Amino acid sequence: MTSEQRSNNWRTWTIAISGMGARADNPAPGLAVARCLRQHPEFRGRVIALSYDALDAGLYDDHACDEAYLLPYPSLGEASLLERLLEIRNVVALDAIVPCLDAELDNLQRLQPALAELGIASLLPDRKTLTARSKENLPALGAATGVATPATRIVNDMGFFDTCHQVGWSYPLVIKGRVYGAHVVRNANEAKTACWRIAQQWGYPILVQRFIPGHEVNLTAVCDGESTLLGAVMMRKRGTTDQGKAWSGISIADQELLEMAETLTRHLSWRGPLEVEALRGEDGKLYLVELNPRFPSWIYMSHAVGRNLPVVLMHLLAREQCPVLPAARTGMLFIRHARDLAVDFERWAAMATTGNHPSPPS
Amino acid sequence: MTDPGLSASRKSLDPGRLDHLAVSRTGLVFDPVSGLSFTVNTTGLTILELLQSGASMEEVARRLTEIYAVTLDSATASVAGFSQQLAQNIP
Repeated sequence: MTSEQRSNNWRTWTIAISGMGARADNPAPGLAVARCLRQHPEFRGRVIALSYDALDAGLYDDHACDEAYLLPYPSLGEASLLERLLEIRNVVALDAIVPCLDAELDNLQRLQPALAELGIASLLPDRKTLTARSKENLPALGAATGVATPATRIVNDMGFFDTCHQVGWSYPLVIKGRVYGAHVVRNANEAKTACWRIAQQWGYPILVQRFIPGHEVNLTAVCDGESTLLGAVMMRKRGTTDQGKAWSGISIADQELLEMAETLTRHLSWRGPLEVEALRGEDGKLYLVELNPRFPSWIYMSHAVGRNLPVVLMHLLAREQCPVLPAARTGMLFIRHARDLAVDFERWAAMATTGNHPSPPS
Repeated sequence: MTDPGLSASRKSLDPGRLDHLAVSRTGLVFDPVSGLSFTVNTTGLTILELLQSGASMEEVARRLTEIYAVTLDSATASVAGFSQQLAQNIP
Protein backbone atom coordinates (compact mmCIF):
# COMPACT_ATOMS: atom_id res chain seq x y z
CA MET A 1 0.00 0.00 0.00
CA THR A 2 1.32 3.48 -0.82
CA SER A 3 0.20 6.84 0.45
CA GLU A 4 -1.96 7.12 -2.68
CA GLN A 5 -3.73 3.90 -1.74
CA ARG A 6 -4.20 4.76 1.95
CA SER A 7 -7.67 5.94 2.86
CA ASN A 8 -7.68 9.61 3.73
CA ASN A 9 -10.24 8.95 6.45
CA TRP A 10 -8.14 8.77 9.65
CA ARG A 11 -11.23 7.68 11.56
CA THR A 12 -10.88 4.16 10.16
CA TRP A 13 -7.07 3.98 10.15
CA THR A 14 -4.90 1.38 11.79
CA ILE A 15 -2.51 3.44 13.89
CA ALA A 16 0.71 2.14 15.42
CA ILE A 17 1.73 3.83 18.66
CA SER A 18 5.03 3.24 20.44
CA GLY A 19 6.06 3.95 24.01
CA MET A 20 3.77 1.47 25.74
CA GLY A 21 5.79 1.19 28.92
CA ALA A 22 3.66 2.13 31.92
CA ARG A 23 6.04 2.13 34.86
CA ALA A 24 4.21 3.79 37.68
CA ASP A 25 7.00 6.27 38.42
CA ASN A 26 7.74 7.18 34.79
CA PRO A 27 5.15 6.06 32.25
CA ALA A 28 5.78 6.42 28.53
CA PRO A 29 3.20 8.42 26.55
CA GLY A 30 1.94 5.63 24.27
CA LEU A 31 -1.00 4.42 26.34
CA ALA A 32 -2.21 7.98 26.89
CA VAL A 33 -2.05 8.66 23.12
CA ALA A 34 -4.04 5.47 22.52
CA ARG A 35 -6.64 6.54 25.08
CA CYS A 36 -7.02 9.93 23.39
CA LEU A 37 -7.76 8.26 20.05
CA ARG A 38 -10.00 5.60 21.55
CA GLN A 39 -12.11 8.14 23.39
CA HIS A 40 -12.65 10.39 20.40
CA PRO A 41 -16.25 9.79 19.29
CA GLU A 42 -15.36 9.66 15.58
CA PHE A 43 -12.48 7.17 15.82
CA ARG A 44 -13.48 3.67 14.70
CA GLY A 45 -10.03 2.45 13.65
CA ARG A 46 -7.55 0.10 15.25
CA VAL A 47 -4.66 0.81 17.59
CA ILE A 48 -1.47 -1.23 17.36
CA ALA A 49 0.85 -1.12 20.37
CA LEU A 50 4.58 -1.12 19.66
CA SER A 51 7.11 -1.52 22.43
CA TYR A 52 10.54 -2.85 23.34
CA ASP A 53 10.01 -5.01 26.41
CA ALA A 54 7.60 -7.88 26.95
CA LEU A 55 6.82 -6.41 30.40
CA ASP A 56 5.54 -3.11 28.98
CA ALA A 57 1.96 -3.01 30.22
CA GLY A 58 0.50 -1.30 27.17
CA LEU A 59 1.17 -4.42 25.13
CA TYR A 60 -1.57 -6.15 27.10
CA ASP A 61 -4.08 -3.34 27.63
CA ASP A 62 -6.95 -4.58 25.47
CA HIS A 63 -9.05 -1.49 26.17
CA ALA A 64 -6.43 0.76 24.62
CA CYS A 65 -4.90 -1.44 21.91
CA ASP A 66 -6.13 -4.07 19.45
CA GLU A 67 -2.83 -5.78 18.74
CA ALA A 68 0.71 -5.53 20.06
CA TYR A 69 4.22 -6.11 18.72
CA LEU A 70 7.72 -5.87 20.07
CA LEU A 71 10.32 -3.79 18.23
CA PRO A 72 14.11 -4.19 18.20
CA TYR A 73 15.85 -1.80 20.59
CA PRO A 74 16.72 1.57 18.98
CA SER A 75 20.46 0.90 19.41
CA LEU A 76 20.17 -1.78 16.69
CA GLY A 77 19.55 0.92 14.12
CA GLU A 78 17.02 1.79 11.48
CA ALA A 79 17.60 -1.26 9.27
CA SER A 80 16.43 -3.60 12.06
CA LEU A 81 13.48 -1.34 12.76
CA LEU A 82 12.45 -1.26 9.10
CA GLU A 83 12.75 -5.03 8.85
CA ARG A 84 10.48 -5.45 11.88
CA LEU A 85 7.97 -2.90 10.61
CA LEU A 86 7.79 -4.79 7.31
CA GLU A 87 7.10 -8.02 9.22
CA ILE A 88 4.33 -6.30 11.17
CA ARG A 89 2.93 -4.75 8.02
CA ASN A 90 2.64 -8.17 6.47
CA VAL A 91 0.23 -9.05 9.29
CA VAL A 92 -1.57 -5.75 9.76
CA ALA A 93 -1.79 -2.86 7.29
CA LEU A 94 -0.53 0.20 9.16
CA ASP A 95 -1.83 3.60 8.05
CA ALA A 96 0.10 5.77 10.49
CA ILE A 97 2.72 5.61 13.19
CA VAL A 98 2.99 7.85 16.26
CA PRO A 99 6.40 7.45 17.90
CA CYS A 100 6.35 8.38 21.57
CA LEU A 101 9.93 7.85 22.76
CA ASP A 102 12.89 10.21 22.29
CA ALA A 103 15.34 7.35 21.75
CA GLU A 104 13.56 6.01 18.65
CA LEU A 105 13.13 9.34 16.88
CA ASP A 106 16.48 9.28 15.06
CA ASN A 107 15.76 5.89 13.49
CA LEU A 108 12.22 6.76 12.52
CA GLN A 109 13.28 10.09 11.12
CA ARG A 110 15.74 8.31 8.83
CA LEU A 111 13.00 5.88 7.81
CA GLN A 112 10.45 8.53 6.90
CA PRO A 113 10.87 8.13 3.11
CA ALA A 114 10.59 4.34 3.44
CA LEU A 115 7.54 4.66 5.67
CA ALA A 116 5.91 7.04 3.20
CA GLU A 117 6.62 4.54 0.41
CA LEU A 118 4.86 1.88 2.48
CA GLY A 119 1.86 4.16 2.99
CA ILE A 120 2.56 4.67 6.69
CA ALA A 121 1.94 8.31 7.54
CA SER A 122 4.06 10.09 10.14
CA LEU A 123 4.91 13.66 11.06
CA LEU A 124 8.34 14.21 12.62
CA PRO A 125 10.84 17.04 12.90
CA ASP A 126 13.71 16.89 10.38
CA ARG A 127 17.20 15.78 11.45
CA LYS A 128 18.49 19.32 11.78
CA THR A 129 15.67 20.15 14.18
CA LEU A 130 16.20 16.99 16.22
CA THR A 131 19.84 17.97 16.65
CA ALA A 132 19.07 21.60 17.48
CA ARG A 133 16.62 20.63 20.24
CA SER A 134 18.90 18.07 21.89
CA LYS A 135 19.74 18.81 25.51
CA GLU A 136 23.39 19.65 24.86
CA ASN A 137 22.39 22.18 22.18
CA LEU A 138 19.68 23.89 24.22
CA PRO A 139 21.83 26.87 25.27
CA ALA A 140 22.69 27.55 21.61
CA LEU A 141 19.02 27.28 20.68
CA GLY A 142 18.17 29.66 23.49
CA ALA A 143 20.80 32.14 22.34
CA ALA A 144 19.50 31.99 18.77
CA THR A 145 15.89 32.59 19.79
CA GLY A 146 16.23 34.85 22.83
CA VAL A 147 14.79 32.16 25.07
CA ALA A 148 16.38 31.80 28.51
CA THR A 149 17.85 28.38 29.31
CA PRO A 150 19.82 27.12 32.31
CA ALA A 151 23.57 26.94 31.62
CA THR A 152 24.43 23.41 30.48
CA ARG A 153 27.72 21.66 29.82
CA ILE A 154 28.95 18.17 28.96
CA VAL A 155 30.97 16.47 31.67
CA ASN A 156 33.71 14.06 30.61
CA ASP A 157 35.70 13.97 33.84
CA MET A 158 34.08 13.05 37.16
CA GLY A 159 36.75 15.17 38.87
CA PHE A 160 34.72 18.18 37.67
CA PHE A 161 32.29 17.59 40.54
CA ASP A 162 35.04 18.02 43.14
CA THR A 163 36.25 21.32 41.79
CA CYS A 164 33.20 22.72 39.98
CA HIS A 165 32.71 25.50 42.55
CA GLN A 166 36.07 26.92 41.45
CA VAL A 167 34.69 27.54 37.97
CA GLY A 168 31.39 28.95 39.13
CA TRP A 169 29.26 25.79 39.24
CA SER A 170 27.90 25.51 42.78
CA TYR A 171 25.51 22.90 44.13
CA PRO A 172 22.71 21.98 43.76
CA LEU A 173 23.15 20.95 40.12
CA VAL A 174 21.04 18.89 37.74
CA ILE A 175 22.68 15.82 36.19
CA LYS A 176 21.10 14.67 32.93
CA GLY A 177 21.53 11.97 30.33
CA ARG A 178 21.53 13.01 26.69
CA VAL A 179 18.18 11.31 26.10
CA TYR A 180 16.74 10.33 29.49
CA GLY A 181 17.33 10.82 33.17
CA ALA A 182 17.57 13.89 35.40
CA HIS A 183 18.71 14.06 39.02
CA VAL A 184 19.13 17.04 41.32
CA VAL A 185 22.37 16.58 43.28
CA ARG A 186 23.70 18.49 46.28
CA ASN A 187 27.33 17.44 46.49
CA ALA A 188 30.08 15.70 44.54
CA ASN A 189 29.22 12.23 45.83
CA GLU A 190 25.59 12.52 44.78
CA ALA A 191 26.69 13.91 41.43
CA LYS A 192 29.05 11.01 40.70
CA THR A 193 26.41 8.46 41.76
CA ALA A 194 23.84 10.10 39.48
CA CYS A 195 26.30 10.13 36.58
CA TRP A 196 27.05 6.45 37.08
CA ARG A 197 23.34 5.57 37.19
CA ILE A 198 22.54 7.51 34.03
CA ALA A 199 25.58 6.17 32.18
CA GLN A 200 24.68 2.59 33.17
CA GLN A 201 21.16 2.94 31.87
CA TRP A 202 21.44 5.39 29.00
CA GLY A 203 25.13 5.77 28.20
CA TYR A 204 27.16 8.92 27.60
CA PRO A 205 27.44 11.86 27.33
CA ILE A 206 26.45 13.17 30.75
CA LEU A 207 25.23 16.74 30.98
CA VAL A 208 25.25 19.04 33.96
CA GLN A 209 22.79 21.88 34.20
CA ARG A 210 22.49 24.72 36.66
CA PHE A 211 19.64 24.23 39.12
CA ILE A 212 17.01 26.93 38.97
CA PRO A 213 14.63 27.11 41.92
CA GLY A 214 11.03 27.47 40.81
CA HIS A 215 8.17 25.35 39.52
CA GLU A 216 7.80 23.44 36.28
CA VAL A 217 5.27 24.34 33.62
CA ASN A 218 4.87 22.31 30.44
CA LEU A 219 3.21 22.81 27.08
CA THR A 220 2.24 20.31 24.42
CA ALA A 221 0.99 20.97 20.91
CA VAL A 222 1.30 19.84 17.29
CA CYS A 223 3.04 21.77 14.50
CA ASP A 224 1.99 21.45 10.90
CA GLY A 225 5.45 21.96 9.44
CA GLU A 226 4.56 25.43 8.25
CA SER A 227 5.40 27.06 11.57
CA THR A 228 1.86 26.93 12.89
CA LEU A 229 1.48 25.75 16.44
CA LEU A 230 -1.86 23.97 16.87
CA GLY A 231 -3.88 23.24 19.99
CA ALA A 232 -1.47 24.27 22.72
CA VAL A 233 -2.28 22.71 26.09
CA MET A 234 -0.38 23.83 29.18
CA MET A 235 -0.09 22.47 32.69
CA ARG A 236 1.68 23.13 35.94
CA LYS A 237 3.03 20.14 37.79
CA ARG A 238 1.37 19.72 41.16
CA GLY A 239 2.93 16.50 42.34
CA THR A 240 6.00 14.66 41.09
CA THR A 241 7.60 11.25 41.44
CA ASP A 242 11.10 10.95 42.87
CA GLN A 243 12.30 11.19 39.26
CA GLY A 244 10.62 14.57 38.93
CA LYS A 245 7.94 13.22 36.60
CA ALA A 246 4.44 14.64 36.89
CA TRP A 247 2.20 12.59 39.14
CA SER A 248 -0.47 15.24 39.05
CA GLY A 249 -0.85 18.52 37.25
CA ILE A 250 -3.37 21.24 36.50
CA SER A 251 -4.16 22.91 33.19
CA ILE A 252 -3.17 26.56 32.92
CA ALA A 253 -3.05 29.34 30.32
CA ASP A 254 0.36 31.00 30.46
CA GLN A 255 0.77 33.45 27.58
CA GLU A 256 4.53 33.71 28.07
CA LEU A 257 4.93 29.93 27.84
CA LEU A 258 2.83 29.90 24.68
CA GLU A 259 4.97 32.65 23.15
CA MET A 260 8.12 30.71 24.05
CA ALA A 261 6.78 27.63 22.26
CA GLU A 262 5.77 29.67 19.21
CA THR A 263 9.21 31.30 19.05
CA LEU A 264 11.00 27.95 19.22
CA THR A 265 8.81 26.08 16.76
CA ARG A 266 8.85 28.97 14.26
CA HIS A 267 12.65 29.15 14.46
CA LEU A 268 12.99 25.38 13.95
CA SER A 269 10.15 24.97 11.40
CA TRP A 270 8.90 22.23 13.68
CA ARG A 271 6.87 19.33 12.32
CA GLY A 272 4.74 17.07 14.48
CA PRO A 273 4.02 16.74 18.20
CA LEU A 274 6.15 18.45 20.82
CA GLU A 275 6.48 19.11 24.51
CA VAL A 276 8.09 22.23 25.95
CA GLU A 277 9.37 21.71 29.48
CA ALA A 278 10.00 25.03 31.20
CA LEU A 279 10.72 26.36 34.64
CA ARG A 280 9.12 29.44 36.12
CA GLY A 281 12.01 30.55 38.28
CA GLU A 282 11.61 32.22 41.64
CA ASP A 283 13.06 35.26 39.86
CA GLY A 284 9.87 35.30 37.76
CA LYS A 285 11.70 34.39 34.54
CA LEU A 286 10.68 31.53 32.31
CA TYR A 287 13.48 29.09 31.39
CA LEU A 288 13.41 26.44 28.69
CA VAL A 289 14.53 23.13 30.20
CA GLU A 290 13.78 20.62 27.43
CA LEU A 291 12.08 20.51 24.04
CA ASN A 292 10.81 17.01 23.29
CA PRO A 293 9.83 15.80 19.78
CA ARG A 294 6.81 13.76 20.86
CA PHE A 295 3.65 13.88 22.92
CA PRO A 296 4.21 13.85 26.71
CA SER A 297 2.94 11.15 29.05
CA TRP A 298 0.30 13.63 30.31
CA ILE A 299 -1.21 13.98 26.81
CA TYR A 300 -4.56 12.57 27.99
CA MET A 301 -5.03 16.02 29.53
CA SER A 302 -5.43 17.37 25.97
CA HIS A 303 -8.56 15.26 25.55
CA ALA A 304 -9.80 16.36 28.96
CA VAL A 305 -9.47 20.09 28.20
CA GLY A 306 -11.16 19.81 24.81
CA ARG A 307 -8.11 19.77 22.53
CA ASN A 308 -7.48 16.13 21.67
CA LEU A 309 -4.00 16.53 20.19
CA PRO A 310 -3.50 12.98 18.87
CA VAL A 311 -6.69 13.58 16.87
CA VAL A 312 -5.30 16.92 15.67
CA LEU A 313 -2.23 15.00 14.49
CA MET A 314 -4.47 12.58 12.60
CA HIS A 315 -6.13 15.49 10.81
CA LEU A 316 -2.70 16.71 9.71
CA LEU A 317 -1.58 13.25 8.59
CA ALA A 318 -4.78 12.81 6.60
CA ARG A 319 -4.34 16.33 5.16
CA GLU A 320 -7.77 17.13 6.48
CA GLN A 321 -8.77 20.60 7.65
CA CYS A 322 -8.36 20.66 11.42
CA PRO A 323 -11.55 21.80 13.17
CA VAL A 324 -11.40 25.04 15.13
CA LEU A 325 -10.32 24.08 18.61
CA PRO A 326 -11.99 25.54 21.69
CA ALA A 327 -9.90 27.36 24.27
CA ALA A 328 -8.22 24.82 26.51
CA ARG A 329 -10.17 24.51 29.73
CA THR A 330 -8.08 25.68 32.69
CA GLY A 331 -8.21 24.28 36.21
CA MET A 332 -8.55 20.68 34.98
CA LEU A 333 -6.55 18.43 37.26
CA PHE A 334 -4.98 15.14 36.31
CA ILE A 335 -3.86 12.59 38.86
CA ARG A 336 -1.92 9.55 37.73
CA HIS A 337 -2.55 6.14 39.23
CA ALA A 338 -1.04 2.72 38.86
CA ARG A 339 -3.10 -0.40 38.25
CA ASP A 340 -2.36 -4.05 37.72
CA LEU A 341 -3.11 -5.88 34.48
CA ALA A 342 -3.64 -9.63 34.73
CA VAL A 343 -1.93 -11.28 31.76
CA ASP A 344 -2.51 -14.88 30.76
CA PHE A 345 0.71 -16.90 30.72
CA GLU A 346 0.35 -17.85 27.05
CA ARG A 347 -0.03 -14.24 25.97
CA TRP A 348 3.03 -13.10 27.91
CA ALA A 349 5.04 -16.10 26.73
CA ALA A 350 4.10 -15.47 23.09
CA MET A 351 5.09 -11.82 23.41
CA ALA A 352 8.40 -12.67 25.06
CA THR A 353 9.33 -15.31 22.49
CA THR A 354 7.75 -14.23 19.20
CA GLY A 355 7.27 -10.49 19.69
CA ASN A 356 3.50 -10.51 19.48
CA HIS A 357 0.60 -12.30 21.08
CA PRO A 358 -2.74 -13.65 19.98
CA SER A 359 -5.64 -11.21 20.02
CA PRO A 360 -7.69 -11.28 23.19
CA PRO A 361 -10.88 -13.30 23.17
CA SER A 362 -13.71 -11.08 21.91
CA MET B 1 -12.01 60.34 51.44
CA THR B 2 -10.23 57.31 50.03
CA ASP B 3 -8.32 55.21 52.55
CA PRO B 4 -4.60 55.22 51.60
CA GLY B 5 -4.29 51.52 52.49
CA LEU B 6 -7.07 50.63 50.10
CA SER B 7 -5.54 52.73 47.32
CA ALA B 8 -2.24 50.90 47.68
CA SER B 9 -4.02 47.54 47.68
CA ARG B 10 -5.97 48.37 44.55
CA LYS B 11 -2.77 49.35 42.74
CA SER B 12 -1.12 46.03 43.62
CA LEU B 13 -4.03 43.95 42.36
CA ASP B 14 -4.14 43.35 38.62
CA PRO B 15 -7.84 43.56 37.68
CA GLY B 16 -7.28 41.30 34.66
CA ARG B 17 -5.79 38.54 36.78
CA LEU B 18 -8.56 38.98 39.34
CA ASP B 19 -11.24 38.42 36.70
CA HIS B 20 -9.62 35.21 35.53
CA LEU B 21 -9.43 33.60 38.96
CA ALA B 22 -11.60 30.52 39.29
CA VAL B 23 -13.33 30.58 42.68
CA SER B 24 -15.20 27.58 44.01
CA ARG B 25 -18.19 28.00 46.31
CA THR B 26 -16.17 26.22 48.98
CA GLY B 27 -13.37 28.80 48.89
CA LEU B 28 -10.71 27.20 46.67
CA VAL B 29 -9.15 29.83 44.41
CA PHE B 30 -7.25 28.82 41.26
CA ASP B 31 -5.07 31.13 39.17
CA PRO B 32 -5.14 29.72 35.60
CA VAL B 33 -2.02 31.67 34.59
CA SER B 34 0.36 30.44 37.29
CA GLY B 35 -1.47 27.24 38.19
CA LEU B 36 -1.33 28.22 41.84
CA SER B 37 -4.27 27.50 44.13
CA PHE B 38 -5.07 28.59 47.65
CA THR B 39 -8.04 28.68 50.00
CA VAL B 40 -9.89 31.64 51.44
CA ASN B 41 -12.29 31.78 54.38
CA THR B 42 -15.90 32.93 54.16
CA THR B 43 -15.00 36.59 54.57
CA GLY B 44 -12.26 36.29 51.95
CA LEU B 45 -14.69 34.62 49.59
CA THR B 46 -17.14 37.46 50.03
CA ILE B 47 -14.44 40.07 49.38
CA LEU B 48 -13.18 38.21 46.32
CA GLU B 49 -16.64 37.79 44.82
CA LEU B 50 -17.37 41.48 45.35
CA LEU B 51 -14.06 42.51 43.77
CA GLN B 52 -14.72 40.23 40.79
CA SER B 53 -18.16 41.75 40.37
CA GLY B 54 -16.44 45.11 39.86
CA ALA B 55 -16.94 46.67 43.29
CA SER B 56 -14.35 49.19 44.40
CA MET B 57 -12.32 48.56 47.55
CA GLU B 58 -14.38 51.17 49.39
CA GLU B 59 -17.63 49.56 48.25
CA VAL B 60 -16.39 46.15 49.40
CA ALA B 61 -15.54 47.55 52.84
CA ARG B 62 -18.96 49.21 53.14
CA ARG B 63 -20.65 45.98 52.07
CA LEU B 64 -18.75 44.06 54.75
CA THR B 65 -20.13 46.38 57.44
CA GLU B 66 -23.63 45.42 56.30
CA ILE B 67 -22.99 41.66 56.17
CA TYR B 68 -20.84 41.17 59.26
CA ALA B 69 -21.81 44.03 61.55
CA VAL B 70 -18.28 45.38 61.85
CA THR B 71 -17.09 48.98 61.88
CA LEU B 72 -15.98 50.63 58.65
CA ASP B 73 -12.42 50.93 60.00
CA SER B 74 -12.27 47.23 60.77
CA ALA B 75 -13.76 46.30 57.40
CA THR B 76 -11.36 48.62 55.58
CA ALA B 77 -8.39 47.06 57.35
CA SER B 78 -9.66 43.57 56.47
CA VAL B 79 -10.10 44.43 52.79
CA ALA B 80 -6.66 46.03 52.62
CA GLY B 81 -5.00 43.06 54.34
CA PHE B 82 -6.82 40.52 52.23
CA SER B 83 -6.02 42.36 49.01
CA GLN B 84 -2.33 42.48 49.85
CA GLN B 85 -2.30 38.73 50.52
CA LEU B 86 -4.20 38.15 47.31
CA ALA B 87 -1.69 40.19 45.31
CA GLN B 88 1.12 38.05 46.71
CA ASN B 89 -0.67 34.92 45.57
CA ILE B 90 -1.31 36.11 42.03
CA PRO B 91 2.00 37.83 41.14
